[in-house]
Amino acid sequence: MSETFVQAIRIGEVAPGGMKAVELNGREIVICNCGGSFHAVDRRCGHMNAPLEMGTLDGFILTCPMHCAQFDVTTGEALSGPVPHDLGNEPLPSKVGTFLNNVGVFMQQIRTESVAIHKTKVESEYVWVALA
Amino acid sequence: MNAGSRKKALRYFFGKVVEAMGFKFTPDGDLAEFLLEQEVKLEAKHGVPFCPCRPIRRDRMRDMQIVCPCIPFHRKHFDAMKRCWCGLFVHRDVTDPDSLPQVPEKEMDLE
Amino acid sequence: MKKVSVYTLSTCPWCGKTKKFFTERSIPFEFTDYDLADKATQDRIMRELDEEGASGFPFVRIGDEVVEGYQPDRYAELLGI
Repeated sequence: MSETFVQAIRIGEVAPGGMKAVELNGREIVICNCGGSFHAVDRRCGHMNAPLEMGTLDGFILTCPMHCAQFDVTTGEALSGPVPHDLGNEPLPSKVGTFLNNVGVFMQQIRTESVAIHKTKVESEYVWVALA
Repeated sequence: MNAGSRKKALRYFFGKVVEAMGFKFTPDGDLAEFLLEQEVKLEAKHGVPFCPCRPIRRDRMRDMQIVCPCIPFHRKHFDAMKRCWCGLFVHRDVTDPDSLPQVPEKEMDLE
Repeated sequence: MKKVSVYTLSTCPWCGKTKKFFTERSIPFEFTDYDLADKATQDRIMRELDEEGASGFPFVRIGDEVVEGYQPDRYAELLGI
């Protein structure tokens, strides 16, 4: 069965080290430019669904902006889980403190899953994506 | 998380940072692998890759100074030793890391 | 024979070498892995290190002398071997 490539972005739209979120056939995808080669991953972080294109891309490693989970964009593999926030030593208003503690309990149970990747090709000045 | 993949990511991040400071990964491959494995475990436990050879004090200001690569916080000491404390990094011209002893800062004549 | 006690980290290869130095020479020693100890013990160990102006492991006490770092020549010298 041959893959169906969908036209995504012009190659000039994302500089090396950059990312751009696009919607292709109802699927939210992030196109990453890793030093000139393009990779496509699902937009939603494998931890808590934050938008990955708002994070940072360093080489082949994408860091999510919300809790800093990291992914290898060439394989989609989760490289690390969330990094705990430092909330400082000042006491928080009790409602806020209680809320954060409760959320913290749930977050302990959340795994960081790998993200889906999609094949890409460059043709006629465009990046094309074959949705997995 | 796959420890092997995480080690690869740490090598990527650390390499760029330490090279800019005139250091490199130790040519002692076994030592580097062992230390990186410890850092992967420490990172999984604490959220950041602490030096495997320094105490974590639970004092943020002091603990930040032992997050790998911690070379900037100990520059004079490590430049004098030609290696960092745990030995993961050595000066770029070092070919025989075994010859570099581990000497505490107060025993070195640093001005 | 001088008393030997060592503070170490289970994650540190130099601490491992230090322990090996003593076991290979059949020298009895006490050790505490800081990272595996409870908070009270950790605080006590850090106070001791701070008093000696030390900040890294291994931290070796041979008799009244303190050696910070893996320094087998110093251990041998202090033990007279």
